[in-house]
Amino acid sequence: MSTTAHLRLRGVSKAYRFFQLQGISFELEPGEVMGLVGPNGAGKSTTIRMAMGMLAPDAGEIRVLGHAMPSAQAEAKRDIGYVSADMRLVPNATLGWHMDFVSSVYPGWDAGYAATLLRRFNLHPQQATQTLSHGEQVKAAMLLALARRPRLLMLDEPGNGLDPVARQELLTEFMDVLRDDSRSILFSSHNTVDVERISDRIAFMDRGRLLENSDKEEFLERWRRIEVQLEPGAVLPVLPDIVAQAGEGRFRTLTTNRFDGAQLALLGDVVRGVQRMSLEEIFVANVMHHRETHNP
Amino acid sequence: MNGIAFRLIAKELHVHRWMMLATGTAAALSALACAFGGVAFNIGSIAWITAVIAGGVMLAIYGVANERKEQSLQFILSLPVSVPQYVRSKTLGLLLCFALPWLVATLSAVMLVLASPAIPDGMLPFVLALAGFLLTNFAIVLCAALHARSEGVMTAAIILTNMSVSIFMFVVGALPGIRSHLDAAAPVWNATVFNVLLVEALVLVLAVLLPQLTVARRRDFL
Repeated sequence: MSTTAHLRLRGVSKAYRFFQLQGISFELEPGEVMGLVGPNGAGKSTTIRMAMGMLAPDAGEIRVLGHAMPSAQAEAKRDIGYVSADMRLVPNATLGWHMDFVSSVYPGWDAGYAATLLRRFNLHPQQATQTLSHGEQVKAAMLLALARRPRLLMLDEPGNGLDPVARQELLTEFMDVLRDDSRSILFSSHNTVDVERISDRIAFMDRGRLLENSDKEEFLERWRRIEVQLEPGAVLPVLPDIVAQAGEGRFRTLTTNRFDGAQLALLGDVVRGVQRMSLEEIFVANVMHHRETHNP
Repeated sequence: MNGIAFRLIAKELHVHRWMMLATGTAAALSALACAFGGVAFNIGSIAWITAVIAGGVMLAIYGVANERKEQSLQFILSLPVSVPQYVRSKTLGLLLCFALPWLVATLSAVMLVLASPAIPDGMLPFVLALAGFLLTNFAIVLCAALHARSEGVMTAAIILTNMSVSIFMFVVGALPGIRSHLDAAAPVWNATVFNVLLVEALVLVLAVLLPQLTVARRRDFL
C-alpha cells in the first residue's frame, strides 16, 4: 500500500434505500489518470462525492492527499479541483466575479493560465452565470478548477452533454495538467472513448461494486475475442478464463479476459482469428459477465 | 471564523445585493406612504410588512433551497470549507443579508412614528416589537430552510411563519401592557414590551444556533 497515494479508498461502503455501494477499494498515485467507468447508477458519483467529503461512507476509510475524509475535508480541498456535469456556478454573479472569488481562496491561483483558458474556451469574464449554456457552465467550472493548479482533479462525468468539440477542448486541458507528474486526475464517465484516450488506469463499476481496477494497457492486452470454426460434430474444448461465448453450431466467438498462448494451443487449428477489443467492448463484456456471475 | 468563512459571507451579500436593495427600498417607500394617513397608512403598513416578509422568504429560498436544487452547492462545497463552516457562514451571511434591509425598514418605521403628527408616539414599542418579530421570523424560516430537504417542508415552513405574523399582531397587540398605550403621546416601555422583546431575542438565538448543532453535523450534505 502506497503512503504517497493522492487518493486511497479502503473497503468503502454506503447504503441507500435502493442502492448499495459495497467494499470499494482503490488508490490513485501522483501523476496518474484514473477513469472510473460505469453505467448510470453504478455508483461513480457517490464514490467521487464521498472522496470530496460531501457524503460520508457508512464503512471503510477514505484518505485524500493524506487527509482523512470527510473529517479533514477543508484541508484536503485546498489542493483539489472538483467539477461535475450537474454542478452550477453561483447565480447573480459573473464569471469574472467567480474568478476573483476563487483566486481569493486559493493562493496558488494562476491568473495567466486562467486568462489562457478564457481564450481557449471562448468565455468572457463579464458573462453572467445565468446566461451560460450547459457546455459553457462546465467549461467555466473547469477553468475555475484548473487555474487553482490543484494536485488532484476530481471530475464527475465532465463530458456529459458536451458536443465533441467541447469534449476535445476539455481532454486537451487534462493532458496539459498531466505534464506536471505530481498531479493526478480521477474522472468518471460512461464515455469509454474519452477514458481510453487519457487514462493510465481504469476502474469498472457496476451496481455499486468495483468490478476491476487495472492499468489500461493491461486491460487492452488481456481481453481478446477469439473466433473459432469447429469441424462438423466437434466439441469446443473447455477453456479457462472465457467470460462470454457467442454463436451457434460450428462458428463461435469466445471472449477471454486472460488471453494467452495456452488458450490458442488448447484450441488448436480451429482458431480463425483473434481480435483486440476496444475499451467499450471490454467494459460491456466485463459488466455482463459480472451480472451473470452474481445474478444468474 | 476564518478567511474562507468571511469570503462566503461576502458572497452572500454580493449574490443577494439586488434583493436586499429591493426589500429595503420597498419597506422605506411603504413607511413613507403611511405618512399620508387614512387609506395610505393602511396600504403602506401592509406593504411594509409584506416587503420585509417577502425579502426574508426570497432570501431563504434563493440562498438555501435553490442553492441545493440548482447544484451550486456542489461548487461551494468544492472549496476548502467544512460542513460546519459552510452552515455557519450561510447562517450569518443570510442573516446579514436580511438584517441590512430590515434595519432600513425598522428605522423608516421608527422615523415615521416619531415624525408623523398623525401617528401617536405610543405606537413605537409595538412597532419595535413587530420589527423584532419579523427578524426572529426570518431566523426561523432560515433555520427551517437549512433543515429542509424537500420543497414541501420548506413551503409548509413559509406558510406557518407567514401566518404567525398575523397571529403575533392580534395576540401581542391585544396585550394590556401594549394595547392600552398605543394612543399615548409618548412611548411606554413597560415589562410587557421588554418580555416580548426578550422572548423574540431568545427564539432568534435558538433559531440561529439550532442548525449549527444539527445541520452542521450531517454526514451527508448533498
